[in-house]
Amino acid sequence: MSTNIDIRIQDADFDLAAEYQQLRKLTSAVGAVVTFCGLVRDLEKQSVINSLSLQHYPGMTEALLQDIVDQAEARWQLIGVTLIHRVGQLLPSDQIVFVGVASQHRQDAFEAAQFLMDYLKTKATFWKKVDQDGQQYWVENKDSDQLATDRWQRDE
Amino acid sequence: MIKLLFFGRLGDFAGDVAPQIEATEGLTPALVRESLAADYPALAAELSQPQVLVSLDQRIARWDQVISDGAELAFLPPVTGG
Repeated sequence: MSTNIDIRIQDADFDLAAEYQQLRKLTSAVGAVVTFCGLVRDLEKQSVINSLSLQHYPGMTEALLQDIVDQAEARWQLIGVTLIHRVGQLLPSDQIVFVGVASQHRQDAFEAAQFLMDYLKTKATFWKKVDQDGQQYWVENKDSDQLATDRWQRDE
Repeated sequence: MIKLLFFGRLGDFAGDVAPQIEATEGLTPALVRESLAADYPALAAELSQPQVLVSLDQRIARWDQVISDGAELAFLPPVTGG
């Protein structure tokens, strides 16, 4: 049985309830749906931000996300995966990323969702730029994100 | 011709770098970086940071990989999505 994969990169916001329903209704074999939503934090370097803009590499980003989903499919029994990442200008509290996984049993959905998010953070070609009181700067990557990704490689 | 792309903070350093360069025999991403050093030393220094990756035609590539004519070469700083 092939996994239902839905990967979207978009300016528009998304509706968590609608995304959950899409996964829930894939087949009656779905016994677990795990969803994760990432939001724009208001603080960066201990200061309040005005906005965030997201750049990505069209074409390559989609291919990398597909590759990440393929890896998750090889490790867990999945029925559906939805990945949504927003680009363009975003404000504090805006939704930025969605990961949803449907599976028969909860462990597959929980683990795959975390794996997808950890890999997306360190592999997918997105870059954040912060606007803080008229000052703009690119966000630095975090060692903790790389460690979260490395953890899955040790488990192999 | 080879198309050049600079993402994230690298774009700020790339400024008026020509978006395309002539394809030459045996050209590699490392050689492209070297050729930029004379006119764009700050950019070349950024490109030399160990975490910067390169891609050829949207696939992660090695710095010593030979670039074919018509390729798209992108310089990618560490990603910060999610």
